[in-house]
Amino acid sequence: MKALRQTLDSISIPIIAILLGLAASSIFVALANVSPIETYQKLFCEGFGPRGCQNFGDLLFFQVSNGDGGTSTVFSPLYGEGGSRIALLLEQATPLILTALSAAVAFQAGMFSIGMDGQFVMGAITAAFLGYWVPDQIYLLVGVTDPEAAPIILKTIMHGVVPLICLGAAMLVGAIYSWIPGYIKVKLNVNELISTIIFNAIAVQLITYLVNFPMRADFNNIARTRRIDDTAWLIPFNRGIFQDVEWFSGARVGVGLIIALIAAGLVWFYLRRTTAGYEQRMTRGTSLFARFGGIPTGRAVLRAMLISGALSGLAGAIAILGVERRVVDGFATGGTGFDGVLVAILAKESIVGILLVAPFFAGLNLGATNLQFGDLPRQLGGIIISFIILFNAMEDFIRQRLRALLRGRYWTRKSSATSGESTAV
Amino acid sequence: MSNAIELQHIRKYFASSQVLACDDVSLSVESGEVHAIVGENGAGKTTLMSILYGLLTPDEGQILIKDSPVRITHPNDAIRNGIGMVHQHFKLVPSFTIAQNIMLGIEPNRAGFINVNSEAEQVRNLAESFGLPVNPDLPVREISVGMQQRVEILKILQRNAQILILDEPTAVLTPQEVREFLTVVRRLAGTGRTILFITHKLAEVKAIADRVTTMRRGRNVGTHFAKDQTIRDMANLMVGRVVTLTVEKGPAHPGETVLQAENLLVAGADGIPAVFGASLDVRAGEILGVAGVSGNGQTELVEAIVGMRPVDGGTIRYLGQNITHALVRERREAGLAHIPEDRLTTGLNLTTNLDENVVVTSYQHKPYSQQGIFSFAPIRALAQEIIDKFAIKSARVGEPIKTLSGGNLQKIVLGRELKGDPKLIIANQPTRGLDVGSIEFVHKTLIEARDKGAAVLLVSVELDEILALSDRIAVMFAGKVLAVLDAKEATEEKLGLLMAGSLELHEANAERAHV
Repeated sequence: MKALRQTLDSISIPIIAILLGLAASSIFVALANVSPIETYQKLFCEGFGPRGCQNFGDLLFFQVSNGDGGTSTVFSPLYGEGGSRIALLLEQATPLILTALSAAVAFQAGMFSIGMDGQFVMGAITAAFLGYWVPDQIYLLVGVTDPEAAPIILKTIMHGVVPLICLGAAMLVGAIYSWIPGYIKVKLNVNELISTIIFNAIAVQLITYLVNFPMRADFNNIARTRRIDDTAWLIPFNRGIFQDVEWFSGARVGVGLIIALIAAGLVWFYLRRTTAGYEQRMTRGTSLFARFGGIPTGRAVLRAMLISGALSGLAGAIAILGVERRVVDGFATGGTGFDGVLVAILAKESIVGILLVAPFFAGLNLGATNLQFGDLPRQLGGIIISFIILFNAMEDFIRQRLRALLRGRYWTRKSSATSGESTAV
Repeated sequence: MSNAIELQHIRKYFASSQVLACDDVSLSVESGEVHAIVGENGAGKTTLMSILYGLLTPDEGQILIKDSPVRITHPNDAIRNGIGMVHQHFKLVPSFTIAQNIMLGIEPNRAGFINVNSEAEQVRNLAESFGLPVNPDLPVREISVGMQQRVEILKILQRNAQILILDEPTAVLTPQEVREFLTVVRRLAGTGRTILFITHKLAEVKAIADRVTTMRRGRNVGTHFAKDQTIRDMANLMVGRVVTLTVEKGPAHPGETVLQAENLLVAGADGIPAVFGASLDVRAGEILGVAGVSGNGQTELVEAIVGMRPVDGGTIRYLGQNITHALVRERREAGLAHIPEDRLTTGLNLTTNLDENVVVTSYQHKPYSQQGIFSFAPIRALAQEIIDKFAIKSARVGEPIKTLSGGNLQKIVLGRELKGDPKLIIANQPTRGLDVGSIEFVHKTLIEARDKGAAVLLVSVELDEILALSDRIAVMFAGKVLAVLDAKEATEEKLGLLMAGSLELHEANAERAHV
């Protein structure tokens, strides 16, 4: 009973915040002279619904014609004709989960680090480089001149090893890139918010340079790096084990999602079950309590920054190895890192919350991107998300009003207050 | 006599913390009366006064001044109605002179230019008319705390306050300053002004109040004539049960020297030395009390001893070992316990649960963790042990602690710190803000620890507490230990003079004879 009440309590606010966010955003939709209801139907259909989804009802159950003129009802999330959008949403949620975990780890050490963007692109460029460089070196070493003709056994071994090298290196680079702001915070008390913003800017410029000059692969209109070798590829489900499952056919969701879920489990274990996680959580806030208890606070903060950076670096590597397979100019300004910060805030840094919010966030973005082909700008997704975060932050106010409303005290209290005023004047 | 103020059925609920701070409180104060308001922390005294002064608006109820209802939603309304308030923490501009502070915002001016001479002149006249002499040209940062309080009072008198609210006015004063303050209050009441003052110190209530209102858990539990009430009556009424006010303690059996601090030099938060060549030593089985007006380096001294603040000079020895630059953890593992000044931010982490709070000093050891991974059963057992041993009624294993009362929170700190019989206990203001019942408990616990052979360093700004518990008393002034007295020969008088910085007692006595 108590557990149920707690669960209801913790999910009621986000749900109310979502509804209020949609309501507030509808002002902007109405300004664009379109019906909010229709827009939202389209938004959610494009983000979460099956192909051909027309209205809110279709999000759950969907009528499909079965060839001979008749129709049958299917459970929409499982309907995969033409590739499920849920799979696409999971593809986009994968790096978001990791950058949100990254933000949560930093926040839970009292570090308001928003350097996920920088760490993400640093991880990505590392993976993109090693994704072709490492296989090149191996082929050279073994004496294979034509990679296409390489022996199967070599390719199989490389498939096991190369992605691991790329992921590991990207995590290392991300960790170092996050450790520096942590170190100058601990040693020199440089505000981490400012230093991580600067580090993000540096990373973006650096990657833009690398992609345009030293790592530019060809004379394609848009600068891009060489494609990673096939052996570095984290093969998506639709090319691998679920090759024949149509549900996965349109999306590059794959091993990366499994890695992200494992990472979520490990982060939870680290924060809740290990003394290291305890040390960093207690360091949060004024950190007086931690210092009072004898906790080595500087070490705890640096450890948190290393883990946080490694997670963002991992996210960047997965985005490259699993989805993009090369870095294209403009990739660095994609904002996956900052979206992760928003997911972590919306999820209140809870790991389970992140696993719920990240797909929701990805779905809204997806829906809004597809809306762009219609009458409304892509920015609608951003507006809705911003409002939701705003209303979520008004938790105390909403909770208070909700309680008063549930007890029916809202109106009585208000009237008694006004009557009190009239006598007092 | 007519009522100067009447509060009727005041109710104030804080939704964010879910506290009903004032629950149908009614109170009437007569003109020319000195009215004390006493109660435990969190009883709603300050909330009630903040409502009267317009800092908070009540949910229900109304305020009458001279029998007519008024609406006070802002301190400006209060000032217009002749109400002035002196806050516990003074609100003066340190770099301004006394005159500038008193006339702040109401400067005599011509076309926007302040007439400095007339400003000082007005202040001098005001001060003389009330018999509260001040030098209007002195900057506030150079005057004593007692003088600052006088400036605060003059500031509200200049604004024609007929009703003066004083929030814990004596908390920061030396005993001599307190005595002087009390005569000032009497004199003001003599001019027909009404004084409302909040205090924890029942002896002061006895000394000057005409009537006393006791608050408990947001309610007015009774207004009485002060002369009809004994201190014991008031204490019992505040707590709601019978309390013992005296501390029973046998003679000390001091053993070897546990803590020895020599010539310590420690910088304060602003980088300026706060401890300036302080030396003291504490032996096993004794309580060394450190008396002093707050802000004379006690906090920095404690932080240096426990390892939370770097030491710039001098040495700290613990059982003969030099620990001047040892880590907090190293000191704790050697047997040092610390009851900090601020239990809410330093002693405890209110954002987490009981278990994570009790384990902060021992989490890295078996059985609480192995190879960096927690074992929760022993931690829960530890939490339960502390709950049982210290009878912390409302605390539960695994539950948040932020809703617990100050007394219960302090019991958690004591339970954790005294676990494993520490050899040295550093207690800084261990009873600050606690109610009479909890104070009794903390005192008993510290004496028990002493009798078990612990060396106890007790820092407190409450002289009563120092006198009741200490075997020897060190007095700190301006970052130095001025003197260490045997508790038997220490009197409030002597300590008070030392706290005010007088090294030579007879000299100070001579000075007093002149004044």
